Amino acid sequence: MAGEGDSEPEKPFKLLGFLDVKNIPCARDSVLYGSLGSLVMGLGHFLATSRVRRSCDVAVGSYICTMLGYWFYCRYNLAQQRIRQRMLKEGMKNRMLFEGSYLDPEKKKTGSERSDS
Amino acid sequence: MANHSQLNFQDASSPIMEELMGFHDHALMVALAICSLVLYLLTLMLTEKLTSNTVNAQAIELVWTILPAMVLIMLALPSLRILYMMDEINEPDLTLKAIGHQWYWSYEYTDFKDLMFDSYMIPTTDLPLGHFRLLEVDHRVVIPTSSTIRVIVTADDVLHSWAVPSLGVKTDAIPGRLNQTSLFASRPGVFYGQCSEICGANHSFMPIVVESAPLANFENWSSSISS
Repeated sequence: MAGEGDSEPEKPFKLLGFLDVKNIPCARDSVLYGSLGSLVMGLGHFLATSRVRRSCDVAVGSYICTMLGYWFYCRYNLAQQRIRQRMLKEGMKNRMLFEGSYLDPEKKKTGSERSDS
Repeated sequence: MANHSQLNFQDASSPIMEELMGFHDHALMVALAICSLVLYLLTLMLTEKLTSNTVNAQAIELVWTILPAMVLIMLALPSLRILYMMDEINEPDLTLKAIGHQWYWSYEYTDFKDLMFDSYMIPTTDLPLGHFRLLEVDHRVVIPTSSTIRVIVTADDVLHSWAVPSLGVKTDAIPGRLNQTSLFASRPGVFYGQCSEICGANHSFMPIVVESAPLANFENWSSSISS
């Protein structure tokens, strides 16, 4: 069926010849948000001060800061997601392993409910 | 294994390699930021006059001291985290000795009785169709999946290096010295590597093949090969 089993990696698009923004998680978003932040800050500074040179400096500075700032935020969330995925995988494996045995957490739960009633 | 003209890493098959790839992405992002800044400064120089009346440079001195320090901190902290993670004390399930010779590897599983073998590259003339040239060996190293393996690497004659890129392992084999590393294959598969220290004429022809198999398969293999 269309889309199923489509696991070919995307053709890389390397920014400045080395950063593959298509295949590195969070890279594309970081560069795009950085560009947006740079545009907004640079343009805003120019509109406020009419100083071209300083506005360009502000634009480049905010590009770097926004890009790196979003990068750290995105990678932190990605790491948390990966940890949750691993815990879920481990939990599912343990549930299958211990189902019906004395280690089954579901059995302990129903056992305690019975003793309460 | 790597595809032809592949420049990037092979797919990670161990948690350490995943962490290393993540750190590599982080380092490249920092490098992009620095290169963008340098590119911008270079373009500024094209429009700048070549004389300057600046006598007091305290502010810029402060900037170009603090900024590189911050860059170094951004790189050093994740790097050290992974470095210490690689040296964590764990309880290995199995110990494997890899001994480098000119020009083959030999392996010993001393947890089992009489389980040792040599691993020679299969010459291209004897290679079955569809197998990988200069990478296949006659006897693969088989390890159980999702188990911590202690690998002790040494050499018999000259310097060699036992490397498997997709597992994030590269350990020098030094005669008279035992180097220890830890291996953890997250998934079943076959992982290829090559000797990574120049060791003579056939340095390029002593590959390493690690086959990660479920525990039952590993047990069957170990009983079959020792008998």
